[in-house]
Amino acid sequence: MIETTFWRGSVPRVRPLLGIVAAASFVVASYMALVWAPTDAVQGDVYRILYVHVPLAWLAYLAFVIVFLASIGWLWTKRPVFDAIAVASAEIGVLFTGLFLVAGSIWAKPTWGVWWTWEPRLVTTAIMFVMYVGYLLLRSLSPDFSRRATRAAIFGIVAVIDVPIVHLSVLWANSLHQLPTVLRASGSPALDSAMLLTLMVSLAAYTLIYVYFMSARISLELARQERSWATT
Amino acid sequence: MVERLGSRRVLILAALGAAVLVGVFSATNLASSTVYYLTPSEAFARTVATGQTVRLGGLVKAGSLSLRAPSFHGPSEFEFILTDGNVDVRVLGRGAIPGLLREGAGAVVEGSFAADATFVATQVIAKHDEVYTAPKAGATPAHRTSFP
Repeated sequence: MIETTFWRGSVPRVRPLLGIVAAASFVVASYMALVWAPTDAVQGDVYRILYVHVPLAWLAYLAFVIVFLASIGWLWTKRPVFDAIAVASAEIGVLFTGLFLVAGSIWAKPTWGVWWTWEPRLVTTAIMFVMYVGYLLLRSLSPDFSRRATRAAIFGIVAVIDVPIVHLSVLWANSLHQLPTVLRASGSPALDSAMLLTLMVSLAAYTLIYVYFMSARISLELARQERSWATT
Repeated sequence: MVERLGSRRVLILAALGAAVLVGVFSATNLASSTVYYLTPSEAFARTVATGQTVRLGGLVKAGSLSLRAPSFHGPSEFEFILTDGNVDVRVLGRGAIPGLLREGAGAVVEGSFAADATFVATQVIAKHDEVYTAPKAGATPAHRTSFP
């Protein structure tokens, strides 16, 4: 099968290089975020956590959209590789959503004055975190591969609806969280060009880390699938 | 095989349909029924009872903010006028002061109205916008790390 040569041959050969590129771009992004980018006129240096918080949010969204697409892929084709992609992306997404919440909390304390408050963006993000923890738990309920993958896929399709809700929750009336900075309804991003460039480099670096984690986790899951079929 | 493929499509469509239903339902209901804070005008229109815990949100009126620290380690006392342009509310309270609490900027206070319509806050949260710019030459950021 195509995926066997792809996941067994090409991916492991490229993975070390991918890891080096991801690590190097993370170093560059960190330098730009901490040293090169100018400080903010209102928030001072504390705003620099933006360069961690926003990429983590983007990765959380990306990871759960990939779960959604892989879930459709499994239901449509019944090829086990799609289930491997879904579980890999869900695990990484839960990790990054957790870090996203922590980074947001660390930013909130010195600016808003509280670690946490029951504000729409924060609540919908917490719901997203709990839903995908639930997704991972659901995967351990049935030992039967096909049944488990199908149940997980249905959950993975339904749960993705929280991603746009999280993103749009800041537009609801009387909320606390600031509006989107880059994807604004009215025209250009509300950052200095040096800040925007730093943010873009950070987004690219974090995305490379996601791709690296995905390649490792998917290979692991495919090996696990093969092992479980060999023993049964 | 044709039948199998058909049932899969039904499953996918059903899951997608459920997702859209859940999404539309929660977006429309959550957006209208979850209110994080009331504006001063809304609070007066709804006649919030004295002593009832609510959050109020608005702008800190220019020239109204005063901060005091009675003791070095104790909580700061704050006083300001919270406005939405139509209704002003005098806010009194003590507690941690957010780094971005400043005049002309947004704030959310949690607490209750006293009998004289003063708002006694147990917590104040600063609100900031999504705009980031480098400071002008010679200017210092508004963010405070120490208080009077």
